[in-house]
Amino acid sequence: MRKFGSVLLVFTLVAASAVGLAACGSSSGGKEGGTLTGSYASFPDYLDPQLSYTSEGWTALWNSYTPLLSFAHASGKAGSKVIPGLATAMPKISNGGKTYTLFLRKGLKYSDGTPVRASDFPATVERMFKLNSGGVPFYTSIVGAEKFAETKQGGISGIKTDDKTGEIVIDLEKPRGTFTDELAIPFVALVPKGTPAKNLTADPPPATGPYEITKSEPGRGWTYERNPAWVKANGKLMPQLPGGHVNKIEISVIRNDSTQVNEVEQGKTDWMQAPPPPDRYQEVKNKYEGTQFRDESTVSTYYFWMNMKRAPFDDLKVREAVNYAIDPRALERIYAGSLAATHQILPPGMPGYEKFDLYPHDMAKAGQLIKEANPSDRDITVWGDNEPENSEATQYYQDVLNKLGFNAKFKEINADNYYSIIGNVNTPDLDTGWFDWFEDYPHPNDFFQPLLSGESIAPTNNSNFSQTDIPELNAKITRLGEETLGPKQEAEYAELDKEFMEHAPWAPYGTRIISTFVSSAIDLDKVIFNPTFEDDLTSFQFK
Amino acid sequence: MAAEPIADSGPADSGPWRLALRRLRRNRVALGFLGLFVAIVVFVIAAPLWADHVAHTGPNATHTLQRVTVGGEKRDVVNPEGKPLGPQWFGAGGKFFLGADSRLGRDEMVRLMYGGRTSLIIGVVSALITTILATVLGLLSGYYRGWTDSVISRAMDVLWAFPVLLLAIALGVSLAIGGLKIGPVEISGGSIWIPILIIGFVSTPYMARPLRGEVLSLREKEFVEAAVAQGAGSMRVMFAELLPNLWSTIIVFFTLNIAGNMLLEAGLSFLGVGVQPPNSSWGTMIATGNDLITSAPLLTIIPGTMILLTVLSLNVFGDGLRDALDPKSKVRFEAHAGVAATGAPGTEGLEELAR
Repeated sequence: MRKFGSVLLVFTLVAASAVGLAACGSSSGGKEGGTLTGSYASFPDYLDPQLSYTSEGWTALWNSYTPLLSFAHASGKAGSKVIPGLATAMPKISNGGKTYTLFLRKGLKYSDGTPVRASDFPATVERMFKLNSGGVPFYTSIVGAEKFAETKQGGISGIKTDDKTGEIVIDLEKPRGTFTDELAIPFVALVPKGTPAKNLTADPPPATGPYEITKSEPGRGWTYERNPAWVKANGKLMPQLPGGHVNKIEISVIRNDSTQVNEVEQGKTDWMQAPPPPDRYQEVKNKYEGTQFRDESTVSTYYFWMNMKRAPFDDLKVREAVNYAIDPRALERIYAGSLAATHQILPPGMPGYEKFDLYPHDMAKAGQLIKEANPSDRDITVWGDNEPENSEATQYYQDVLNKLGFNAKFKEINADNYYSIIGNVNTPDLDTGWFDWFEDYPHPNDFFQPLLSGESIAPTNNSNFSQTDIPELNAKITRLGEETLGPKQEAEYAELDKEFMEHAPWAPYGTRIISTFVSSAIDLDKVIFNPTFEDDLTSFQFK
Repeated sequence: MAAEPIADSGPADSGPWRLALRRLRRNRVALGFLGLFVAIVVFVIAAPLWADHVAHTGPNATHTLQRVTVGGEKRDVVNPEGKPLGPQWFGAGGKFFLGADSRLGRDEMVRLMYGGRTSLIIGVVSALITTILATVLGLLSGYYRGWTDSVISRAMDVLWAFPVLLLAIALGVSLAIGGLKIGPVEISGGSIWIPILIIGFVSTPYMARPLRGEVLSLREKEFVEAAVAQGAGSMRVMFAELLPNLWSTIIVFFTLNIAGNMLLEAGLSFLGVGVQPPNSSWGTMIATGNDLITSAPLLTIIPGTMILLTVLSLNVFGDGLRDALDPKSKVRFEAHAGVAATGAPGTEGLEELAR
């Protein structure tokens, strides 16, 4: 046991040295410095860590705003590991899983020179609540948070801090197995106390990470430069986080995705955030795979939800029939190679995922089930957004419903407003529709609690579109959500996946494959694709 | 009470409409384009025949995973890389004559024909709405003048202040979800009536203003004074005396409005606030084709060409109609063109003026 400890110590020192050297920018091969140019197809939802709730926004913010904990800057499963961020170590969990104690690293500074204090953490959480951020539901289990969400006054009693020692103690109302992950997402990335509780996209708050956003022109683009506080202090204090290779990053919004491809091909832009458009996807893949292009698997589920509280989808046979009628192969073709067919709730790559398919494509069986159900209400509204592939997938779904004998009408909504419209339960005719869900963090509860628990049905910002409310499964979600994720819990989540699919609230059809596409000047092998934050800007390096 | 005859240089025993028809028949270019427009109308009316008896598929039926036999060879309607089948002409017995429309594998020819119906219906019905609204408002405004004119004209100014496409987009977006409910009339957001009403409404000022000007001029004529002296009421003066004198202008505007409204519909549908998918119009087909413009450019070019031909035919025919109904405008135009070309009044124009 002792010998093992010595070996572990030596190994840890070697690993820490390697990481430290990498963080100092002296890694072997490749060029340090330079200006990286990138393009987005649209401006992210926000450049404000307490507000952003899209993968585009999180990609943009990850290396500027650091929470107490972070995710490892690595691709694949390794990138799902939670590591200390601004905190010295992982939290000490006590009081039956209800108290989290962390310590802030000493000497940290924001990019404007302000020292980072433990009391900035409650101020940050309160700012998020004051902004009515989409991240609020993750933190309402903190003692006093529900009350603060209503009154926006008096502080959150469940967070206690000591600026001298850097201690931060968080008390929860009940144990929450996902809370460690939730301390590592940008909603709680620290900003200075006194940061205005308003959208700061045009003038982002001071940063703690290796890059600060020095210029932001909403709708047009933004620029990062090296954070002076990182160079002086933070980089040395947080050697577990990479410091990045380039000195400056300029991101511009180019709405035409084909133009983005051309610019990367010509070397005018070094990286495009979105995948190439479907009609050029294979061309780019065939031409550049391995040198400038790489497929990247995401942890996501694309699905059609069916409102279990409205006819005809209140009938299990109808929902089963839809599942049998959907042919994931057709949908794979619609997404032109950028979707891998699945037929279950949990996607590959998520802990608890075990492949199964309860409803292999069988149109005859689907027809038989509809005949048995004989629904009286056959007028259906099918909701979808206007992103080309998603719109086509929904039109395919509408055609399938019509082939089953329904009178389905497609209601296409602009992607910017889609979630808020279908998330409002008072929107008329919410019968069925399209949605996708990408992981917020690598925990299976992230797919069950917000999307399928009856407790999550809310009048607005509802994400349980199928309005699934099965008491025994609600209780199971709650119980598992309080437990720390381990092999036993993973097995239970796998079972929960099957149990939900037996009720068929969704017709899931795939998991998205996106891509990394860079210019010939960039070393593709070094680019990290994190499952939560996608392309890691600190990993980009010129050859 | 007969109106003052429309100015005309023809024989005294011919009515103005007969003279106009005679002039129109002499304009071979206008008649040629009228023929083209009629051919397009016949083409789109034949959509169900083609769909049922040749293509054997509906406009919205998807065929993503299907294969067609062309000369004994099986071809994917959509290949595994997501590229739709190109034009097959009669190689597959008329199926996929113009190929497949997208990764959904719908028959492009069938959608083109049905889409043309939608575009033409929207163009014609919205032009009718525009014409009715503009005529009523132009008559009321021009005849009554005073505060009626002020209220109507300022309302028109407000509408005119917005760029027409932006106004139509704003209305389209706001009506797309909840639809339109006016009293007992309820129109769902995806209905074709939404773009029809929007286009008809936003185009109104562009026709009402010139009509108002013409009414202002006509109401000072002797035949109006005579009608009033004989005890005719306002309604009778407006609709029995003034309106017949506006017909030539209204007909020309109506024709040109159809073309303009079809273009506006194409723009709105391209931007996603016109005709709602999966229904096709030539505008939505261009939008769908735009996603595949590098690999299948015909999907954009074909509906674009149909819009071009339809709008061109209506515009040229509309010009011919105007020349036939209001020969003075042609003379004015030619005289002006002569001045522009030679620096002096054109002889052709002067000869016509002399006649």
